[in-house]
Amino acid sequence: MESYRADVVIVGGGGAGLRAAIAVAEADPELRIALVSKVYPMRSHTVAAEGGSAGVKQASDSLEYHFNDTVHGGDWLCEQDVVDYFVAHCSEELTQLEHWGCPWSRTPDGRVNVRAFGGMKIERTWFAADKTGFHMLHTLFQTSIKYPSIKRFDEHFCVDLLVDDGRVQGVVAIEIASGELLCIEGRAVVIATGGAGRVFRENTNGGVVTGDGMALAYRHGVPLRDMEFVQYHPTCMPGTGLLFTEACRGEGGFLVNKDGYRYLQDYGLGPAEEKPRNKFMELGPRDRLSQAFWYEQQKGRTIEGQYGSVVHLDLRHLGEAKLRERLPQIYELAEQFLGIDPARTPIPVRPAVHYTMGGILVDGRCASPLPGLYAAGECSSVGIHGANRLGSNSLSELLVFGKVSGVEAARFARSVAAGNSASLNRQAQAVERRVQGLKLGRGNERIAVLRKEMAQTMEDGCGIYRLAATMQQTCDKLEELKQRFRNLRLDDQSSVWNTEWLLAIELEYQLDVAQAMACSALERRESRGAHQRLDGFEQRDDVNFLKHSQAHYVAGGPPRIDYGSVRITRSQPGTRAYGAAGEQAEQERKASHG
Amino acid sequence: MAEGQKTIEIEVLRYHPENDTEPHAQVFEIPFTDDMSVLQGVQYIKDHLDGSLSFRWSCRMAICGSCGMMINGVPSLSCQTFLRDYYPARVRVEALAHFPIERDLVVNMEGFIEKLESIQPYIIPREARTLSEGEYLQTPEQLGAYEQFSSCINCLLCYAACPQFGLNSRFVGPAALALLHRYNADSRDGGKAERMELVNSEDGVFNCTAVGYCSEVCPKHVDPANAVNQNKTNSAIDYFLRFLAPKGGAR
Amino acid sequence: MSKRRPYVRSMDGWWRRNPYFVEYMIHEGTALFVAAYAGILLAGLVRLAEGEAAWNAWLAALKNPWYVGFHLFALAALAYHSFTWFKIMPRTMPPVIVEGQRLPAWVITGGGLAAAVVASLILLGVVWGMVR
Repeated sequence: MESYRADVVIVGGGGAGLRAAIAVAEADPELRIALVSKVYPMRSHTVAAEGGSAGVKQASDSLEYHFNDTVHGGDWLCEQDVVDYFVAHCSEELTQLEHWGCPWSRTPDGRVNVRAFGGMKIERTWFAADKTGFHMLHTLFQTSIKYPSIKRFDEHFCVDLLVDDGRVQGVVAIEIASGELLCIEGRAVVIATGGAGRVFRENTNGGVVTGDGMALAYRHGVPLRDMEFVQYHPTCMPGTGLLFTEACRGEGGFLVNKDGYRYLQDYGLGPAEEKPRNKFMELGPRDRLSQAFWYEQQKGRTIEGQYGSVVHLDLRHLGEAKLRERLPQIYELAEQFLGIDPARTPIPVRPAVHYTMGGILVDGRCASPLPGLYAAGECSSVGIHGANRLGSNSLSELLVFGKVSGVEAARFARSVAAGNSASLNRQAQAVERRVQGLKLGRGNERIAVLRKEMAQTMEDGCGIYRLAATMQQTCDKLEELKQRFRNLRLDDQSSVWNTEWLLAIELEYQLDVAQAMACSALERRESRGAHQRLDGFEQRDDVNFLKHSQAHYVAGGPPRIDYGSVRITRSQPGTRAYGAAGEQAEQERKASHG
Repeated sequence: MAEGQKTIEIEVLRYHPENDTEPHAQVFEIPFTDDMSVLQGVQYIKDHLDGSLSFRWSCRMAICGSCGMMINGVPSLSCQTFLRDYYPARVRVEALAHFPIERDLVVNMEGFIEKLESIQPYIIPREARTLSEGEYLQTPEQLGAYEQFSSCINCLLCYAACPQFGLNSRFVGPAALALLHRYNADSRDGGKAERMELVNSEDGVFNCTAVGYCSEVCPKHVDPANAVNQNKTNSAIDYFLRFLAPKGGAR
Repeated sequence: MSKRRPYVRSMDGWWRRNPYFVEYMIHEGTALFVAAYAGILLAGLVRLAEGEAAWNAWLAALKNPWYVGFHLFALAALAYHSFTWFKIMPRTMPPVIVEGQRLPAWVITGGGLAAAVVASLILLGVVWGMVR
């Protein structure tokens, strides 16, 4: 097996991975960086983020406001010291990206413009039309080309971590073009592989979002934290799940039911006004909006469509000119995929899975409990999103913590000696035998069938509202699917560009991650943020569950779930309210603090 | 397939380097619904009929740039090309033209990546600025001067539309030159002189004969032909300036 | 040993593969008529310099039906060339900004075509005037 010796290995070439690579290169140009990505970096799913990236910008705003919005939005399941670090570094990172060429939308005087976003008290979402993630990703990718110490392994699929002497010392990857395995040694490894939304049926995610890095860390004993918190984005295309950005509402769009009624006012988000106020109505947080949809559906006030119930995202009153300027991609999506003109017809939407709040357990410096292993971005749980992420916090997260992970990994790499190549190579060969063996499966199960059943059972059991019985069914089903996975049959045993083989490996990752989600959900007997139950646990329970769940991998069975404490520095759990009620709660909080 | 289910035929150009000496066509019949993209069509084939069919895809919404293919001879993103526009006729799908085929619908794009790396696709600051000084000021008009060229998703449809690239694969080509122009036209950038060397070179803009099909097929309205042709003018000016200012910035 | 063996497709007959390429080749082909007609005019100029007899012989030769046929064909080719030339023009020039708005492509193409038509009519008028 070929082998390459790096100092820092970064798995994942999306926003967080690229930011980490640049951070390592800037921290110490002598360090050799291997950036391993299963797709060319600009294909990574950061590309699909639309609305924007949060960072305090206006004089009327403050870090304290951003902190409060984030912690309240996360239903107090956030690591408050980490949130403090996060909000303090967002704007600096966004400015850095501006210096690197990101085409941020501007005000007439040439400054970076900001827009309103759900759950945010003040406009603080930096944006590049409605292609923010695309522009951030391409800016980072193109800037990374400047650094000679970054060696990219594009279209290399990571299949395992190498752990020796109690610490991570590299990875094993498949070169997709040849189908050959490669051992990449490194004194520190950063995982930045993104989320796992594809384990659900209807989702906004690209095909690559299969939780690879989460599963890699998990199988090596690193817990996955808060996996039950899966975000449903309220405005997605029926059937495909494609995303209509929250910026549609930030720019003033309405959500209406079949009677043309702005139903959010019935769910504690009102009053309804012509221009949505921040944290009111359509600018409420995503979990609340998706939950309101569910209730409307129960009441029979949604519209029946070919792909299930929908409500209408009404942008007509914004006018074609503004839509073309601020939401050009949304305009084209509606035209091309739905055949409707959003300046003249409301867009049918329904909630779909969008984001995994949980992930690889790391501390505020992105270090996992396994020495030498770091994680950043959606695959990680650094602790800023809690039980529900606010829109536009994730793009900032991958910059702020991408950088932190790179700096810390560089520091760690310098502090330890290179590993024992012979021992690592032996390990890598064992990995190769296992992975190659998967190709030879001669059972009778098809990948697509297992994948579809997994996605369906996740939707059934871990949807917007959850019940113990169906969650239990989902856990059982996932166990069954893992058994059936052993009976897989592949059509393709060849080497070059064998994507069926990669799909099989991804499916195995997905099953592990799905199990962590479902089992963590079953055990959380309360309702908080994106985890809502209807079976006697409708309330938040701070006494028993103001805790992070931690799913530990158990070979051959369901995960073991235990709990970790939540770091609360100054914001004590309170009522999480929006709209007029939110305003009142805030005044009461102020009054009680004197 | 259920009784009465409408179907459509997809003809795929297959090539497997481990078995085939040259590509060959294979026809698949798949169930048809009128909201199916061509991508969903080939996904159906992979999932249910032949798991060995290889192609790239990811976002499904025309922004990641992975799923470019020749569809009935036209370079297209398969995720936003719909089978209903061909039904009931057979749809022909082939790997992007002018690139070597690695396998089936997967092309070798290493050459493009090298070109992208060669254009210095990053800001070479006109004037240094620290983070504490905040952002560079850039008016909406200044943004407008390069914004469209920054919208390139690297899907390579323009290369599959460019016969000159097909005839000479060393030609830097539409997307990379559009990105080069994107940085040259950015008010924050001062690296134009460095990049002109490549523009003027044997592999540079003068390989373009203004066929214009690249801009026609671009799914993001980048208009790469415009960037290339503006740089023919820039290159000519650069050439004459060398006579006027032998020690000037132009090299 | 890598099993990769990228397959390079032939470019033979590339211009027949797509209507757009066919149009491009016709556009390029019609340029030959532009050159040919320039040659004819140049020949006329040479004959004029040689004296009245030579000039008249040249004029007489132009009345040959083959020449007339060629002229009609050249006219059609030049019209097509102008049309496709103006069609591609917006792609070849820097953006024209008028009152903060970018001039749309059809305005540039339309403007060019209109200018060509007007110029041709003026020329026709001048020649008409000279002949009468």
